[in-house]
Amino acid sequence: MNNQRFRKLLDAILVPLLAILSGLVVMGILILILKKPLFESYAVLFSKGFGCEAYGNCIFITTLERATPIILTGLSAVVAFRSGMFSIGQEGQYLLGAAAAAWLGYAIHLPPILHPLVLIIAGMLVGAGYGWIPGILKVKLGVNELLATIMLNSIAALIIEYLVQFPMRGDRSTTAHSPVIDESAQLMSFLPGSKWGVGFVIAVIAVIVIFIYLWRTKHGYEQRMAGQSRKFALYGGIHSDNAAIRAMLISGALAGLAGAIEVMGVHRRIMTGFSVGLGFDGLTSAILGQTHPIGVFIVAILFSGLKLGAQLGLQLNLEIPRELGGTIIGFIILFVAAGKLYEESIVRVRDWFTRKRGSNLKGEIP
Amino acid sequence: MTLAIEMKGMTKYFASTHVRANDQVDFSVESGEVHALVGENGAGKTTLMNILYGLIKPDSGEIFIDSQKVRIGHPDDAIKHGIGMVHQHFKLVASFTVAQNILLGMEPNQAGFLNEQKENELVDELAKKYNLPVDPTARIRDLPVGMQQRVEILKVLQRNAKILVLDEPTAVLTPQEVNELITVIRGLSRLGYTIIFITHKLIEVLLVADRVSVMRGGRMVGTEKVSETSIPELARMMVGREVLLRVKKKQIQRGEMVLEARNISVSDVNGLAAISHVSFQVYKGEIVAIAGVSGNGQTELVEAISGMNNLDGGEIIFRGRPINEASVGERRDLGMAHIPEDRMVVGLNLQTTLDENLIVSRYNHSAFSRYGFLLMKTISQFAEKVVNAFSISAARPGEGISMLSGGNLQKVVVGRELSGDPAFIIANQPTRGLDVGSIEFVHKTLIEERDKGAGVLLVSVELDEVMALSDRILVLYRGKIQGELDAATATEEQVGILMAGGALEDLKHPAKDNGQGYKRELKP
Amino acid sequence: MEGFFSVFTVELLNSGIRLATPILLAALGGAICNQAGVLNLALESKMLLGAFVGILAAYYLGNSYGGLLVAMAAGGLLGLLFAFLYHKYRVDLVILAIAFNLIIVELTVFVMRAMFGNVGSWSDPSIVRIPDIQIPLIKDIPFLGPILSGYNIIVYFSWLVTIVMFIVLYKMRGGRHLRAVGENKSAAETVGINAILLQTLALVISGALAALGGAFLSIGHLKLFTRNMSNGRGWIAIAAAMFGVNHPVGVFLASLFFGFADAFSVRVQNVTDLPPNLVKLLPNVATLLVLIIIALRSKIALSMARRRFRSQLRAEEAANPAD
Repeated sequence: MNNQRFRKLLDAILVPLLAILSGLVVMGILILILKKPLFESYAVLFSKGFGCEAYGNCIFITTLERATPIILTGLSAVVAFRSGMFSIGQEGQYLLGAAAAAWLGYAIHLPPILHPLVLIIAGMLVGAGYGWIPGILKVKLGVNELLATIMLNSIAALIIEYLVQFPMRGDRSTTAHSPVIDESAQLMSFLPGSKWGVGFVIAVIAVIVIFIYLWRTKHGYEQRMAGQSRKFALYGGIHSDNAAIRAMLISGALAGLAGAIEVMGVHRRIMTGFSVGLGFDGLTSAILGQTHPIGVFIVAILFSGLKLGAQLGLQLNLEIPRELGGTIIGFIILFVAAGKLYEESIVRVRDWFTRKRGSNLKGEIP
Repeated sequence: MTLAIEMKGMTKYFASTHVRANDQVDFSVESGEVHALVGENGAGKTTLMNILYGLIKPDSGEIFIDSQKVRIGHPDDAIKHGIGMVHQHFKLVASFTVAQNILLGMEPNQAGFLNEQKENELVDELAKKYNLPVDPTARIRDLPVGMQQRVEILKVLQRNAKILVLDEPTAVLTPQEVNELITVIRGLSRLGYTIIFITHKLIEVLLVADRVSVMRGGRMVGTEKVSETSIPELARMMVGREVLLRVKKKQIQRGEMVLEARNISVSDVNGLAAISHVSFQVYKGEIVAIAGVSGNGQTELVEAISGMNNLDGGEIIFRGRPINEASVGERRDLGMAHIPEDRMVVGLNLQTTLDENLIVSRYNHSAFSRYGFLLMKTISQFAEKVVNAFSISAARPGEGISMLSGGNLQKVVVGRELSGDPAFIIANQPTRGLDVGSIEFVHKTLIEERDKGAGVLLVSVELDEVMALSDRILVLYRGKIQGELDAATATEEQVGILMAGGALEDLKHPAKDNGQGYKRELKP
Repeated sequence: MEGFFSVFTVELLNSGIRLATPILLAALGGAICNQAGVLNLALESKMLLGAFVGILAAYYLGNSYGGLLVAMAAGGLLGLLFAFLYHKYRVDLVILAIAFNLIIVELTVFVMRAMFGNVGSWSDPSIVRIPDIQIPLIKDIPFLGPILSGYNIIVYFSWLVTIVMFIVLYKMRGGRHLRAVGENKSAAETVGINAILLQTLALVISGALAALGGAFLSIGHLKLFTRNMSNGRGWIAIAAAMFGVNHPVGVFLASLFFGFADAFSVRVQNVTDLPPNLVKLLPNVATLLVLIIIALRSKIALSMARRRFRSQLRAEEAANPAD
């Protein structure tokens, strides 16, 4: 790797890394306040989130499964941000995509392979349509996409609530569920007893596809230029507005896909309380993952692992409330956002590295 | 004559842009006079006044007010010493009324409660005192720009300013409003106020100022009494460069017409005319220069021709085709190239690699993309070719460009724009901020293109550049073509007087006022 | 349809006003921040913090009113922290809000579980719910009486804050300075107004108000604390502030709109088969429409200037035909 690339990579990882370390430090402080064993807590957290107990019994598998929707909603945020649209509408697009899949899962009957395919496409189309709305509002009318997507999220949540309680209601118990989708529509899982399966593979494929899209295709290039410098894009002949709308369509489709997969592979239906904020988790993964598909992939797995480790390890083994996992993730985001706190240390680390490499990384003197 | 203000040895270096904005500047203003501070964009006059007003701290230098040495670290200090500044971009709250804006921060109140009636009365009194009638209850956003400026002036007078600094006050005014402003300034001067106004419009200087100081490149070039100088002299002081440029040019071989602007008009952001009924032609094999002090419509003209903004009136014909509706991309495909005046924000995307910068105008071509995918290797090879052809040191395919020097950055822009043999090139301030070597490179390249048969539209404020490179000179003033000259026979004086808004006939009878007073007025 | 109209009773109005109160408090906070030019999306976190701290304090102090005050103080402190991080470290407001929201949601449950064991929600019989007040004289007015009287002190306080905020913003110096900062920060700073101080003040006040709104939910209503009990009301408050165009009276009406939709949806559910959730859609869709209208307005203003110029040109050309 040449010097400039290395330096860029270093810059990209340094702040998130420091943020994660700081978050773990905060975790340590909270554990000490609770008078719980410090090192055991860390050990349990990581083993119960990322480790393997016996042969074939890896809890890491569950982490990967939990990470699947977050990877996809994270990619959704990445695509939107890179085109200059600060949309936080992943949650709403996710819900509607899930609803579409849940409905078509029992309303129509198709042979295996075809049925799930149709559900996936439906989820993506619905998500894309819901992503198109804030896109066109911004481009044609100048409506602030942040505020618009906040409202659209609420609207989507209400629509789902209604659907689950009335038209799509499958039973009359205290919490409403939709009917379970046909077996032909369900996504296969790889290991018995786990929900980890085809969904994760789709997520990985999405990561690769989005990476290729953003950096190797014409449209991805247009999007990134429009997001980085509007004036440059206009000057060069790029239609920034079209690029932004395209980005919102793709962003919405990804979030809708996440919802569809979650229904098809995990829950097999939707119910009240289906929305647990996975859209926001994707958003935060995108922020911590430096708005890069690979960063999102790594961070989504990290976050899921932390939460799972807190739930299964800290809570069950050490009686430390599992919310510690979520709290620490919140602090990590805070530290990333307050990146300037680390400026001094970063400069020192960077200098150490560049001196080690013995090269002159500074550009020519103007 | 007492000196209201004396600034000695002011120096300010901006590390972020590597610019020495003020270099040992001495500047003094007599009490009660109207003093014009004149210079090109970037000459340092705004910096100097910002130092005086406490918005910027100088690296070195001393300030004396009424012969007393003072320290001005903050606008509050300046206000205390009686200095009031009316900025070029008004500091007004659009939804508030005139009275609310004038009294902002110093509202008469009882335990915090406001009294709107009292505010309006105060403003009425103030307006009467200075004979600057305003409606205290009008909302700023409903007022024309000239009236908004009047509110800004009243705001400053309300705070007991004795010295008024006006920053480019006529930049946003109609000719009628400019006349009104001149009347106001004369009136205030008669009342004993000292007025400094920053401008680059020389005609207005002669109409209202007593003395004028000219800055260039961060240095004070000189101070003259208005009655003892002339527009051509001021123009030369303002825009001439010390380095004499020598460029070798072949005999002109003019070909067919490549661009025609027919009666075009373009509005600016406020809805006023930036370009007004302009017509001209550019032929193949020639360099046509649009000369003029910046702010006379050059930006809007370039935007309209390149397609970055819409025409409001008239037509543009490019290579025989009307292109009013054509997008930027379509114009580029037809053979139009554009070297923009801001290479760092418009011409390049400093956040990405060299390759991605080089293909922005041609990524759609079959050579660089197929089935929607970018052909990375071909792009890389193209980048390599450009780097070698234009000797862009320190730039490598696949790497970023944010660390390159100004000269090299411009080489990237030029390299991109000129590969592909464009038929027509817009070069907008192509040598701004460049070192001598890079300037020579750009000039040499433009001449080469002209000799190859391209038509070049050079938009420049540098008089020597215009004189050296162009075959024909068109002078832009207040959105209109003030005059056209053949470069072979034009003199700097002729171009200078046109740039300042004068007429060629005036050269025969120089505009020396000899203390006859301010008789002339601007024609609307 | 008979069942449908039976819903419109005094109980509905009472319920609507009660449900609107936490939204009103948080929305007023949001509105004052918007007027100061600081977008405060962390209202949800402040509300939740207020709910938790409020009920805890009520328990430990043995006094519910004390709980309210402590809740407000906690919210104010959180607002102060927000302001500090924003001004000192230039943290992006949106990301800051997302981080705060996430932290508080989890942290409150964490502390609850750490203190009281592995519970889903927490309460204590010793906690006294803030009592309803029947105002003498007013309660006997026919028609209006039952609508205006009989709420707890927090509700009346929210009405008071609405009036006070209106007076301060539009009739007092400080309020005008705040609005100036929000509309044109450099104009305000040029005349010596301390923008940072005013924005910080706005954030602190909004924190205290949102926290009070949250405390209303715990001490004033349900008498318990449970995970995420604000349930998105912070976001509704943001919408109410937008819908009410950041004006105290507009915000008051918008909050009532949201509150009534909420009350209506609950009652309709009991009486008919009409889907309640669709009723709740109304205020949300309305807010979206408001956003669109506001954006349209500025777009039209921009194009007006251009259109005027072009018609002027056409007039000129008609008068002097070009050759």
